[in-house]
Amino acid sequence: MGIPVKYNIRNLIVRKITTGLTVLGIALVVAVFLCVMSLAEGLTRVFQSSGSERNVIVIRQNSQSEIQSGIYRDQVPLVITLAGIEHDTDGTPLASPELVVGLNLEKIEGGTSNVTLRGVSEKGALLRPKFELVEGRMFTPGLSEVIVSRGISKRFKNCGLGDTIRFGSYKWNVVGVFDAGGTAPDSEIWTDVEGALSDFKRSAYSSVLLRTADIISRKEIIKALAFDPRLSLEGKSERVYYEEQTATAEPIKFLGFFIGVIMAIGASFGAMNTMYATVSARTQEIATLRVLGFSRIAILSSFVIEALCLALLGGVLGCLFGILAVNFALSGITGTTNFSTFSEVVFAFRLTPKLLIMGIVFSFFTGLLGGILPASRAAFTKITLALRQAG
Amino acid sequence: MKFLSLILKNVFRKKTRTILTIGSIILPLLVICIMGSFLKALDAPDPAETKGMFRIVTRHKVGLTSDLPLSYAQRIRQLNGALGVTTFDWFGGVYIDNSARNFFARFAVEPETFLQVFDDARVTRGSIEDWMSDRAGALAGEDLMKKFGWKLGDQVVLVGDIYPVTLQLTIKAVYGVSYGGSDGLFFNRKYLEEALPSFEGTVGTIWIKCADADAANRLSNEIDQMFDNSPYPTKTESEKAFQMGFVSMLGNVKLLLTSLGVIIVLVIVLIAANTMALSARERVREIAVLRTLGYTRKMILMLILGESLILALTGGFLGLAIFIMGLKPLKISLMNTPISGFASAIMPFPEVILVGFGVSLFVGILSGIGPAIRASQRPITEGLRHMG
Repeated sequence: MGIPVKYNIRNLIVRKITTGLTVLGIALVVAVFLCVMSLAEGLTRVFQSSGSERNVIVIRQNSQSEIQSGIYRDQVPLVITLAGIEHDTDGTPLASPELVVGLNLEKIEGGTSNVTLRGVSEKGALLRPKFELVEGRMFTPGLSEVIVSRGISKRFKNCGLGDTIRFGSYKWNVVGVFDAGGTAPDSEIWTDVEGALSDFKRSAYSSVLLRTADIISRKEIIKALAFDPRLSLEGKSERVYYEEQTATAEPIKFLGFFIGVIMAIGASFGAMNTMYATVSARTQEIATLRVLGFSRIAILSSFVIEALCLALLGGVLGCLFGILAVNFALSGITGTTNFSTFSEVVFAFRLTPKLLIMGIVFSFFTGLLGGILPASRAAFTKITLALRQAG
Repeated sequence: MKFLSLILKNVFRKKTRTILTIGSIILPLLVICIMGSFLKALDAPDPAETKGMFRIVTRHKVGLTSDLPLSYAQRIRQLNGALGVTTFDWFGGVYIDNSARNFFARFAVEPETFLQVFDDARVTRGSIEDWMSDRAGALAGEDLMKKFGWKLGDQVVLVGDIYPVTLQLTIKAVYGVSYGGSDGLFFNRKYLEEALPSFEGTVGTIWIKCADADAANRLSNEIDQMFDNSPYPTKTESEKAFQMGFVSMLGNVKLLLTSLGVIIVLVIVLIAANTMALSARERVREIAVLRTLGYTRKMILMLILGESLILALTGGFLGLAIFIMGLKPLKISLMNTPISGFASAIMPFPEVILVGFGVSLFVGILSGIGPAIRASQRPITEGLRHMG
């Protein structure tokens, strides 16, 4: 027969201060873990949600990203006439040769960072279904005009509607603000690709983005590019291209687990202390329970359950702290550098249910680790000795 | 200090508890030390202050992905106060594979002028003449040689990503620096020009060594003014400012790590305070007895506070000792993880050790003060009546 859980709950309530301190300690550990992981999650999310299944991005062979790639002007007609590319209503292929350049802009909060300036052709916006102009108008080709994503316009100087971005003799007027629904263009500034080529005196585009008719033609186009020795280009599904960049979030994830695991072990030591104190204060009580006929297993599980209650209470509180922190203190957008393109990526903290469950699991193991030894001490208490022990 | 032995007896009365508490101080303290070293490493010392190196860097005003004409280096050379001028081009590329472990800095440079500007680096093996005599020769850092187990004369193959060429380099010379890491690989830009004619005549950054701080300031302005209305405007800044530019790209890493650190300190305080509360409660009656024996309230306060201080400081010293001794194995074990780039920067900085010590002192006082006051203020009669 088991000892009712009520017994354990009451014990936790009786020792308010100790219970409170232990629970708070575990809660903070879980909250720290959740904050770091939601940062990594937010960053990963940008890359995973970017890129459409049917889009193919064409870059030079071996270049890891657009910023390192180069596609010469005379290669473009060969690429956009490949079979399997979807056509617009006017019969032109849905393809956009593009140029990316890193602009070293000043952040509003101080310091500088590289922001991707993307020169797009007229099909550029059509190829990105989540693109939406929210303020102002589209740039006019040939007029040194740019449109800026909402995330960048909030984080960088001179990037608001009506402002002018200047670099020596270079000058671009901001005529519009756009939103790309949390995808990669949310960290970019867009302008007309031909204008950008002449502004930056480049002879080559960085990439060509294509919309394929279906998944089968996507595979065929990728294959056709790989086996065309004239081009020495490679095609990648746009989704795969962005997913390969999620490596940016790896150090943060690792840091989250690293800190989380070490801190959880530390917190479990604290829980163990609490449980040992509980057990030693109740030695006589435990002996009495044994005399009444409760088995060793019943007592062992009872104390493990008590430790788990303690830890899970901390876990739930920690999740609450995490939710509060992410939704209030960390609710704004933030940015870091994507080191595969060496440019700013704007993202928001994201606390997913999966992370919350991970936080609870963390606290569960903290409780298990902290409870098992004290519980076994309780279970193997010598009845006669314990009863004789003076309170 | 005649009560020291009494305090020590109390500290070790419950051995399991003492060990667990010390353990729960050591682990978070280690985390704090590691995070503190990251922060410290990000904040690299100013070469102008530490070594009297007044170097400035000129790049395209638009950003690092835009190149400058190589002729700019010649024009800067003619300016008054430029003691040495050399060029840098980030090659990037892939060595073996794309993993973090095989990533290091690779630059195309001018061997003739390289050491004039970076005269804090000294050649430890091979010679600059060897390097210059072989167009495909390379100069590698001591740390890098050690990391990959390279020897003089070894071949290093880099597959280009920015530049569509594959380079076969031979290590001809090795350099070391007295402060900081030596983990770069440098090769002759002429080799890249031959392999890729379109590279000819362009340069990523131009590094200038100046006589003193005034010259550095004056030259920065002069250079930027000289090219301001050209098709390739420049931005010139000190070496320190240039490096801090990379740190600021990471975003608010500093704020993030610092706030995590504060929360972790709070966690240690909570755990230690819990232990002290447990010990003090178990000893309520005993403390009342001590009081009847003539111990003053102040002595009781000191006894309990002393106990928490000894606990925290023991944890602190052990934690710091483990941090310092375990640094090498830790660095090696982090080499293959996603944070390898940061791991190589971890060092036992004196500031970090000081912070670690401060944290344990803080924890000792904060965790003991509550239980100490409560225990010392409790009336004797109540204490004697207390049921453990």
